[in-house]
Amino acid sequence: MNVPIQTEGRVSDGTLLEVTDLKTHFRTERGLVRAVDGVTFSLERGKSLGVVGESGSGKTVLSRTIMGLLPSTAVLDGSVKFAGQETLGMSPKQMRHLWGREMSMVFQNPMVSLNPLMKVGKQIMEPLDIHLGMDKRNARETALTLLRDVRIPEPEKRLDQFPHELSGGMRQRVMIAIALACGPTLLFADEPTTALDVTVQAQILELIGEQRRDRNMSVILVTHDLGVVAGHTDEIAVMYGGRLVEKAPTKQLFANMKMPYTMSLMRSIPKIEDPSHTRLLTIPGRPPDLVNPPKGCGFAPRCAYARTKCLEERPPLVPTVESDDHVYACWYPVGSPEFEERDVEILSRVGVAGAAS
Amino acid sequence: MNYWLQRLVIAVLLLLAVSMVTFGAMNVLGDPLFNILGPRVGDTSPEGLELIDDAKAEYNLDKPLPVRYALWAGDFVRGDFGVQFSNDGQPPVSNLIKERLPRSAVLLVMAQLFATAIAIPWSLWSASKANSGVDKVSTFSTFLIIALPNFALAVVLKYLFAIKFGIFPLTYTADDPALSRLFQLVLPALTIALPAAAVYQRLLRTDLITTLQEDFILMARSKGVSRRNVLFKHALRPSLFSFVTVFGINTGALIGGALIVETIFRVPGLGSTIVEAVLREDFPVVLAIVMIITAAFVAVNIVVDILYSLIDPRVRR
Amino acid sequence: MTDFGGAAAELHEFDEDASPDAEVLTKSLGWTFWICIGWLIVIVLAAILAPWLPLKDPGKTQINPDLGAPPYSPSGSFWFGTDQNSRDVFSRTIFGARVSLVVGFVAIASGMLIGGSLGMIAGYFRGKADKVISFVFVVLLSFPSLVLAILITSLLNRNLTTVAGILGFLAIAPIGRLARATTIQFAEREFVLAARTLGAKHPRIIIRELLPNVIIPMGALALLGMAIAIVAEGGLAFLSLSVEKEETWGKLIQLGSGTRDLQKAPWISMGPILVLFMTVLALNYAGDKLRAYFDVREISL
Repeated sequence: MNVPIQTEGRVSDGTLLEVTDLKTHFRTERGLVRAVDGVTFSLERGKSLGVVGESGSGKTVLSRTIMGLLPSTAVLDGSVKFAGQETLGMSPKQMRHLWGREMSMVFQNPMVSLNPLMKVGKQIMEPLDIHLGMDKRNARETALTLLRDVRIPEPEKRLDQFPHELSGGMRQRVMIAIALACGPTLLFADEPTTALDVTVQAQILELIGEQRRDRNMSVILVTHDLGVVAGHTDEIAVMYGGRLVEKAPTKQLFANMKMPYTMSLMRSIPKIEDPSHTRLLTIPGRPPDLVNPPKGCGFAPRCAYARTKCLEERPPLVPTVESDDHVYACWYPVGSPEFEERDVEILSRVGVAGAAS
Repeated sequence: MNYWLQRLVIAVLLLLAVSMVTFGAMNVLGDPLFNILGPRVGDTSPEGLELIDDAKAEYNLDKPLPVRYALWAGDFVRGDFGVQFSNDGQPPVSNLIKERLPRSAVLLVMAQLFATAIAIPWSLWSASKANSGVDKVSTFSTFLIIALPNFALAVVLKYLFAIKFGIFPLTYTADDPALSRLFQLVLPALTIALPAAAVYQRLLRTDLITTLQEDFILMARSKGVSRRNVLFKHALRPSLFSFVTVFGINTGALIGGALIVETIFRVPGLGSTIVEAVLREDFPVVLAIVMIITAAFVAVNIVVDILYSLIDPRVRR
Repeated sequence: MTDFGGAAAELHEFDEDASPDAEVLTKSLGWTFWICIGWLIVIVLAAILAPWLPLKDPGKTQINPDLGAPPYSPSGSFWFGTDQNSRDVFSRTIFGARVSLVVGFVAIASGMLIGGSLGMIAGYFRGKADKVISFVFVVLLSFPSLVLAILITSLLNRNLTTVAGILGFLAIAPIGRLARATTIQFAEREFVLAARTLGAKHPRIIIRELLPNVIIPMGALALLGMAIAIVAEGGLAFLSLSVEKEETWGKLIQLGSGTRDLQKAPWISMGPILVLFMTVLALNYAGDKLRAYFDVREISL
């Protein structure tokens, strides 16, 4: 488990990333799309954050906004401080010095995210050349080491192969190798396992976790699958309709989830202990309109536990009684009397099927 | 291997078919005797008739059409292209070919080179500025260039650059040194190249814009690759496929266009030769050049296939 | 500035109209289309009505002593100037339109008739008929078409019929190929299968089910085809291989393209070049817009 390069980040400990009231809006013909509408969180060096939500929740836009990889039609607001430096207003030219070096990204589908006509080795060596000015021999050595780090069999052979000659899992490892090449302090993993077999998924997540520990690297793991973040993150942020609706250290979230949306997400995961033919709970309805967001809670129209207040007033993000680190936005969270009341009604209607956990 | 063999067979069949059509057309619709003997065909005196008989025997004109074809084909395949009907002394056709083919080849190569050299930077530029004001102007101008017929373009270019601004010479002189001959070919080559460049540019631009939407481009950017290198090193190569195909197919089309351009700029190449030969009904010349052009066309298609497999490693066998 | 990478894909999630080439995807013909149609109508009308329009005699030498020695440059009385024989270029251009347009139209029309039918037969029946017809198409397409045109026009009497006929003949293969491809596309669709199961016989299916669908893409390409035919005729005229008697645009341009003429009186060819260019441009543009409107895939002619 070599750690060939590690940047001496300006921050070796403590807060690496501070996101304050981040807003990303897109100007389109239909109007202003509020993809990300006021998200605040911070991330320490070496820690991992899972960002969970459905498609359209803004989670991918969030990660791309922080990276700075958005089209110029995006309207940005708020603040993103990376290693103490404000990056939100930076031009692509300036950001380029960070990309691949201090922060990098692993994309969802490695088949389309790797250049199909370029040898794997060359793609790994590219950032080494750009940022570290390595000559070819050194770069090749480093690329080999990286491939070993990500546990690809026969790394010498792989360097001269093309992406289509590798399996899905191997390609994703290559992507990780590329992302790690210059020793970044922040790694974004955008649905890194969605396009892979289940067996390979776990390996990839393990790999990311391992590299994180070895390199003291922060990781932001974006996914729609709560199961993915369950064992591999320190903290989880749940997004809905462009906003944070719940955020907590992972264990606390699973032990004590407050927002009914989070609960629905939990219940949509099939579990191995469930009896066979347990009906999977799906969340009915569609994500909210991001051009004209509702004035109340975004999830209310689809929430089985919603009441009038939910539709009229937006609940603020508040900490739980038990812990300051756990915040949520809900008027009638899990465990509250109103919630219990409704829950009983529902259970009596639906029966026990699907109400697992 | 089976695939390449098939292609070869089809190519040969094609050449056969083309030669038959041409041979048939010339002999059925035209009058070979007239071309050999000129007005003497009408000579009904005993000497005249003897002359006609001799001519018939010498050129096998007394035999039926299929036989004549077979004879010609046999000779042709052995490299004997026959003699020129209409030139004094009737020199062998192959002399003519040897003299003129290189010129046409050079012209075509220059044209395609110019076209590519113009199209690639242009398309890269307009892809990076897609849908902006200047890009729209550029797209419109490609439209204008393509719409203008090549003979009209030739006249316009000749007027502007040879006459008004006097940059290029007006004629082609076969005895001039090689370099100045190349220079003399620039204007004709440009005439052929400009519309081709416009077509290539449109294609490349579209493909580049599509490629630039791909995820691996974003990935490259996220590695810190500069905009310029993203274009050249990552976006260009995957966008070349349609271009290569059209490039190949276009070579055939350009051969046709070269005929007119050679005639206008009075370049003594294969194109202007065949035009003359057709007008003078000089069959062997026509047949020889038609076969050469068709063979070239077929060969180009095969080369395109090979190029394809080189660009895209996924296609390699 | 365009935005690289999958970033634009996010935009797609929110707004389907935000595509890179929005101009091509708009489903309306636009005012520029109608301007082209307008020009085409003007030129066609001018050509048809030419003998009755107040134009100077295209064949007669016109001398205007006030302007000095011919050829005259463009002026109030001679809009396009006069040529070496002091004939009015403008009226010659209008009269030239008659032949050029007719040749173009007849060529494409006959090409569509014959090529379209052959293509549909090949595409519908497949099998042996398809193999034969396709091979014929391939052979015709392998011929550098200009060579074939030159070949045949040199051997026949060069009048309107033959020239239009040759060009029509050359149009058969590309049009036929398109018709075949379109037919194949549609023949596999359910409504054809449905018609067959209902017991409809082949001719009925071809005419009632396939033809309407095949005509649309072919019609959209008719304008483009006409442009190509007119240009082809021009090329032939340049080689002195077009119609012998009447004037065509190509002939007019060729007559004015000699070095001396270009030096002294460039307007002799520039006038016809301008009109030819605008007509071909209008045909190309309108044809292209129609093609995009009906969403015909690019099957190159």
